[in-house]
Amino acid sequence: MEIKYTIQGLLIYITIAAYLLALLASLVRRPGTGHALYVLGFVMAVVSFGYRWYHVRHVPMQNLFEVFLCLGVICYPVSRLCRRILRVRAYGADMLIGAVVLVPAGFIFNADPQKLPPALQSWLFIPHVAVYMVSYVFMAKAAFFGVWQLAGKTRGPDDNLLPPEEATYRMVCVGFPLLTLGLVLGSVWGKLAWGDYWGWDPKELWSLASWLVYVGYLHFRYMFGKRHPRINSIWAIAGIVVIVVTLLWVNLSRLFAGLHSYGT
Amino acid sequence: MPMSIDRGFKKKFRRAAMWGAMALIVLLFFLSVYGAFLGPQRAKELFNSVPLTVYWVAFAVLLTVGIALFRRLLRVPALLLVHTGCIFILAGAIWGSEAGHKLRKKHFGIDKIPTGQMQIYEGYSDNRVILEDNRIRELPFYIRLKDFRIEYYKPGRLYIEAERGERWMFPVEIGTEFSLGLDFGTVKIIRVFENFQIAIDGESRTVTDEPGPGSNPALEVRIESPDGQAATRYAFERSLGHIGRDDELLLSYERVISDYVSELQVIRDGEVVAEKDIEVNHPLHFGGYHFYQHSYDARAGQYTVLMVASDTGLASVYAGYLMLCVGVFWHLWLRKLSKRLNRFTITGSNSE
Ligand code: HEM
Repeated sequence: MEIKYTIQGLLIYITIAAYLLALLASLVRRPGTGHALYVLGFVMAVVSFGYRWYHVRHVPMQNLFEVFLCLGVICYPVSRLCRRILRVRAYGADMLIGAVVLVPAGFIFNADPQKLPPALQSWLFIPHVAVYMVSYVFMAKAAFFGVWQLAGKTRGPDDNLLPPEEATYRMVCVGFPLLTLGLVLGSVWGKLAWGDYWGWDPKELWSLASWLVYVGYLHFRYMFGKRHPRINSIWAIAGIVVIVVTLLWVNLSRLFAGLHSYGT
Repeated sequence: MPMSIDRGFKKKFRRAAMWGAMALIVLLFFLSVYGAFLGPQRAKELFNSVPLTVYWVAFAVLLTVGIALFRRLLRVPALLLVHTGCIFILAGAIWGSEAGHKLRKKHFGIDKIPTGQMQIYEGYSDNRVILEDNRIRELPFYIRLKDFRIEYYKPGRLYIEAERGERWMFPVEIGTEFSLGLDFGTVKIIRVFENFQIAIDGESRTVTDEPGPGSNPALEVRIESPDGQAATRYAFERSLGHIGRDDELLLSYERVISDYVSELQVIRDGEVVAEKDIEVNHPLHFGGYHFYQHSYDARAGQYTVLMVASDTGLASVYAGYLMLCVGVFWHLWLRKLSKRLNRFTITGSNSE
């Protein structure tokens, strides 16, 4: 845990505060204020990301600090998209996700700018990371609706919006193709950079494991539909748990010396 | 056989296939997690072992059986793409594995090196590939290394550290004067060396930037103390260099590598048949093999280490990737979501 006394740090803390206040405002039923704060948080997240970009002079998606910074930006567009097009709404959860993903950027990861090492200089680098990040946000939302469903909510907030179990399924349907693409792009990149499309290193194996959880979920839900809503929800929650392990634990634990250790 | 029995049988069979698929998927999940704890080398051995080979083949067979059993998997093109994509990936991976290479050698006499490394000196050509078990095999053509070079981000950096712990970092710009504060005066970079050499003859010292083999990157700097005394110092990339008794400042030179480049030529029957400067992320593809920039002579930059990988099975894996990706987007985004959205907009219940 380390506080960043820099402009970058300040921008991150303001964003986190805005997202958390937005959540608070929504909880005390001030949706207008909540939304305004949410937009403010988003704008600050964009400024923070842009500042980083300017500072390091390459698209900031190289290390975990930058990846989490970017996650803080995409939460808002994703929640708008879900609300408008997918009939899935959980602004509170989105605000929380926005704040939570910025905590590691603000307090844990080292923000020293780094030059791109040779292996990361590839056209696949940005799509690989970006696609994964967007899919993770959808999978986080899927898990959130899973928790909601387990908590006994069976109906949507209004007739226009899906009940939690269906919302989970829809979020997985959106996230799964992105997850698949991320995995495939990573593999193709591995082939170009290291000579093998699959190196069996821990990060790869965890990402395969998280993909498999959702493959399992999709088939389970095909087999039983909505007959076992609780099990469906547990699949989705298991998925996000494995994703978090993929994203963080492997990099942080230093238990395994693998090819992907650039992230620490 | 009466229709109904046949149908009942098929239904049971379908259910068994689905449970089988679930079992294989869940099993692979646990194996992956277990493999993550083993580290890459042992995980690779595990996933290439005989029981796991049986597993991979079983997976491919079950996918095929699934496609035969479920009409929808055959009728819905997106689902067909997803599941055949998986078969292509598995088949390509099995075909391209070491076991696959051995089988083809045994049964078809096709003798190809699955993977290995080559060490080539500048100006020389070689066709020997060192396998993982240190055996040596030969390629049917030669690879010549015209030149190997390391590229760096510009500018490099000069680090200066005072005894009391102050630190400075300056970009390597020749002739620019940087301040070291009131206690230490100023510093100016005079000259940049690729291969610093010093000849001491009695009192006189000559420093040169030796061309040819060897590498000893260094900076010549001039430090002017606040009382007007000037001293010449050297900052080295590889070592701290000589530190005098009264030196209060510790100097070092740092560059960040941006790329490794090997300029290669492929030679067959004495003729150059292909040429490419390979870098990390930009391999050479020739004669059924990929050649990757893998490592290099860290001491003197005299040779490069290439990784050689057979391309057998790769086309199938990549075709499978494409089918899988197109299939999942088509099925889960275009088919599922757009159908819902259409219904949704037609009923006009969208409030926004
Ligand atoms: C191991 C053998 C497998 C069998 C027997 C099998 C069988 C099936 C069946 C019967 C369906 C339902 C199709 C329908 O909607 O009517 C299905 C759906 C699907 N399968 Fe598989 N599958 C297998 C493996 C896989 C794998 C490895 C993947 C990896 C991506 C996969 C991805 C999908 C997807 C994305 C769907 C669509 C799910 C949905 O519509 O919700 N399947 N599979």
